[in-house]
Amino acid sequence: MALNRDKLGTSYPPYTYEVSREKIREYAMALGESDPRYFSDGDDCVAPPTFAACFTVVKGGAAAFADPELGSHPALVHGTQRYVYGERPVRPGDVLTCTPRIAGITARGRNEFLVIEVEARFADADELAVRSEATIVLLGSAPAAGEPDGQEVPA
Amino acid sequence: MSTIEVGTRLPPLEQAANLTTSVMYAGASGDMNPLHYDPGFAAQVSPTGGTIVHGMYSMGLASRLVTSFAGGPERVLEVAVRFTKPWPLGTSATFGGEVTAIEDGVATLTLWGEHEAGERILQGSARIAV
Repeated sequence: MALNRDKLGTSYPPYTYEVSREKIREYAMALGESDPRYFSDGDDCVAPPTFAACFTVVKGGAAAFADPELGSHPALVHGTQRYVYGERPVRPGDVLTCTPRIAGITARGRNEFLVIEVEARFADADELAVRSEATIVLLGSAPAAGEPDGQEVPA
Repeated sequence: MSTIEVGTRLPPLEQAANLTTSVMYAGASGDMNPLHYDPGFAAQVSPTGGTIVHGMYSMGLASRLVTSFAGGPERVLEVAVRFTKPWPLGTSATFGGEVTAIEDGVATLTLWGEHEAGERILQGSARIAV
């Protein structure tokens, strides 16, 4: 089944993510980071840029994938990811308000490309923390008219 | 950063991916897709037939390279990547980058990741404050 094009532009209700020092540490450790600020007990603690994965990738996709009217399916891979950052990095104690939105639905060959945007804002300042833009490739569900091409299947 | 100019290369970063790195990244990021650690599941759905690394782990490593080059996360303005091929678990990959432009205090970099068999797993760009 192909994605429902009428869903383009749909925003889903915002969710909240509270940043914790231990989660920053765990994330930094998983990437083999060495900047002491990621592991700091003090006020200088900050999160590495792709810590945004913790509050954008799975949580951001969840609302869209749970929407029965969108018509997504589980045969999918992550095609692209972009993060655009605000004025300051994320720190322990930050509360982020994250709003997911369907920013693109296209087809190429047999596959469909679903762009999910998540805007994460610092709740106390209403200021951008990070904007995430992910292309999810849904394998094999393109409407029949799609023309075959050499599009690579990503990870 | 001391002197950076167009053509400056980031020092390459090499990383071996295995079950431990994959399970750690799954737990840390919350992406528990079994494709990244369960060989039985991967055999059913994986494009390679085996377990593959989280795309976001490869982006995380490329971003680690950028952030350390930039001098900290506050200098990283944007990171964008395309996951071009799967990175099989149990292999290593190398990440690198190069400065392609510097304008108004912002340097633009290209980024790449290549697994040990020589295939591009990631292609991207970043913008950092300089």
